[in-house]
Amino acid sequence: MKKSYVIKRILYAVFIFFVVLTLNFFIPRIGVSDPAERYYPPQGAMSEIEYEIIKQYTREQYGFDVSTFQQYIRYLQDLAHFDLGTSLQAGSPKVTELIGQRLPWTLVLSVTTLLISLSIGLLFGTFAAWKRGRWQDTMLLNASTISVALPAFFIALMLSFYLGFELELFPAYTNPNMVGQFDWSWEAIQVVFNNAALPIMSMALGGIVGYSQTTRNSVIAVTNEDFVITARAKGLSHTTVLYKHVLRNAMLPLSTSIGMSISGLIGGAIIIERVFNWQGMGTLFLEANSTSDYPLMMGIMLFLSAFAILANLVTELFYVILDPRVTVGDRR
Amino acid sequence: MSSRNVLLQVARRGGSFLSLIKKLWQHPKGRVGLILVGLLVVVAVLAPVLAPYDPYDVTQRAEKGLRPSLEHPLGTTITTGQDIFSMLIYGTRVSLLIGITTGVAIAFLGALMGVMAGYIGGFVDNLIMRIVDVLLVIPTLPLIIVLTGLLGRSYFVIVLVFVLFGWTGLARVIRSLVLVLKNSNYVKAAELAGASRWYIMMKHILPGTSHLIIMNTTLTCAGIMVAEAGLSFLGLGDPTAISWGKMLAEAQGGGALLFGAWWWILAPGAGIFLAVFSFMRIGIVMEEIFNPRMKASSSIYKLFKHLNNDYLDEVFRSMDDEESADPPDGLHPAMSEGGHD
Repeated sequence: MKKSYVIKRILYAVFIFFVVLTLNFFIPRIGVSDPAERYYPPQGAMSEIEYEIIKQYTREQYGFDVSTFQQYIRYLQDLAHFDLGTSLQAGSPKVTELIGQRLPWTLVLSVTTLLISLSIGLLFGTFAAWKRGRWQDTMLLNASTISVALPAFFIALMLSFYLGFELELFPAYTNPNMVGQFDWSWEAIQVVFNNAALPIMSMALGGIVGYSQTTRNSVIAVTNEDFVITARAKGLSHTTVLYKHVLRNAMLPLSTSIGMSISGLIGGAIIIERVFNWQGMGTLFLEANSTSDYPLMMGIMLFLSAFAILANLVTELFYVILDPRVTVGDRR
Repeated sequence: MSSRNVLLQVARRGGSFLSLIKKLWQHPKGRVGLILVGLLVVVAVLAPVLAPYDPYDVTQRAEKGLRPSLEHPLGTTITTGQDIFSMLIYGTRVSLLIGITTGVAIAFLGALMGVMAGYIGGFVDNLIMRIVDVLLVIPTLPLIIVLTGLLGRSYFVIVLVFVLFGWTGLARVIRSLVLVLKNSNYVKAAELAGASRWYIMMKHILPGTSHLIIMNTTLTCAGIMVAEAGLSFLGLGDPTAISWGKMLAEAQGGGALLFGAWWWILAPGAGIFLAVFSFMRIGIVMEEIFNPRMKASSSIYKLFKHLNNDYLDEVFRSMDDEESADPPDGLHPAMSEGGHD
């Protein structure tokens, strides 16, 4: 691995992060010069002095008591200490603390979804490539066309309706006590996965379709390469050729999409979490939105962006190990 | 065949907008897509005529939660007794309006950015591509939620935000094609003749990319319609209009799941599916027409990524490599000449 390439990629990621955090600082300030005027307009039975006190308090809460430049400096200083600010929720909890509480629950959904969709997608994709042009392949293709046009939250509603309410196989809504009662016992873990079954199913469908089509195309592309034909001609068995020659190389394009989809899954879980009332980051974000809790919202946004940048960087560097040809061209 | 030549081929096929429609009509799958989209447009325009009841009428206490019947083809809602068939018809308006206006606006902005990045190059290219990189890592849905909260929940704001953050994919695709077209003989001839940059971009480069733009626009429309439904489902769309996403949210909130009112959930879902499916169909068929190398399955894969906001990424990543690695090669004269017209 070329050292200069790695350093270049890391520096670029840092640069992108800096731009993102600057945007993140300025976005909530679009059109809002004074949060006090905007969110707490004067109410009927309130004297001038009372209102002044409320305004002052609100400004302090939102951090608007100093000039914008000073606010920016303070924001950067806080970030250097991994402090994303204070939420406006009752009890003024730290944003990082709130994210820390909810992140594991979102990760349960997204990581399981990723594992399931990846393994089933690989299986289906290889199968479709093996049967290419035949009815199995066509059927999978048609199934994917149809599922792409169905939004995940609609699938979630249908699953919740049929498997949740009609057949009563899985809880249609997440048990709200689940989070508080979790104690790492075997029963608690079972409860979590029982509740997570429907959200995971509705999220995994799209992933399965995506990965199976990626795998199918890349397996077919690799099968036509010379080294596969050579391997066949040497008299190696079909299974050996499939595992040692075809799948290993077909995994290359798949590895890039995995990195991107992890960050996409966490952000994209918002709607699904809402459908099932799953207490993850998505629900936290929507709660923050409904109470204009900008420190919390922007904290979550920054966290998600940082996650995406990191995931991209890791994928890029990982790709160099998998496919050393990448550094030769050195894109960008 | 290198990816570069594939792109040139894409640029060469196709002609005017009318001949494009003709080609689509001749393709059996394309015809289905065209008929469906036409039907949807008619329904959207004639909604007040076609709807048997007033969808905004929430006072029909006696008509609550009726199953589909001759009187109410798709039943009524449990909570307020609104006629679901009429709501469905009115919902077409929102989906098509947002989908098409956003798609067209993204086509303009994306094409402009892509052509500028590809043709002018240098600092402009660098700047645009860095902006693309930044926009790609910011989570789209949360950002849209924040911005609609700040700027208001009108359709204008929703479209604006979708456009501001949705042009990156198209710009990348167009840029890659422009980098190829830039070195073709007819562009060089125009440069030697002393044409201005702007003139060359508008008269020589943009026409060569038009098919790619139209193809992408239909797919963008489909993607935006899904996104809009999601936004409305979260209760973040325009609160004054009936949309399919909002219907689903009301169905869930109104206990459609609990009381087994399947018609209340299936109807808007079918609406979303039909609209997205027909636009997608057209996009896929166009891809097949312009780019015969592209198999249907791989365009679906691309579409899938498109709906996830990072479509075509990998394909054009590999293309970036090629561009920086080897110098512009002499293109086949016949190929570069036929690029536009």
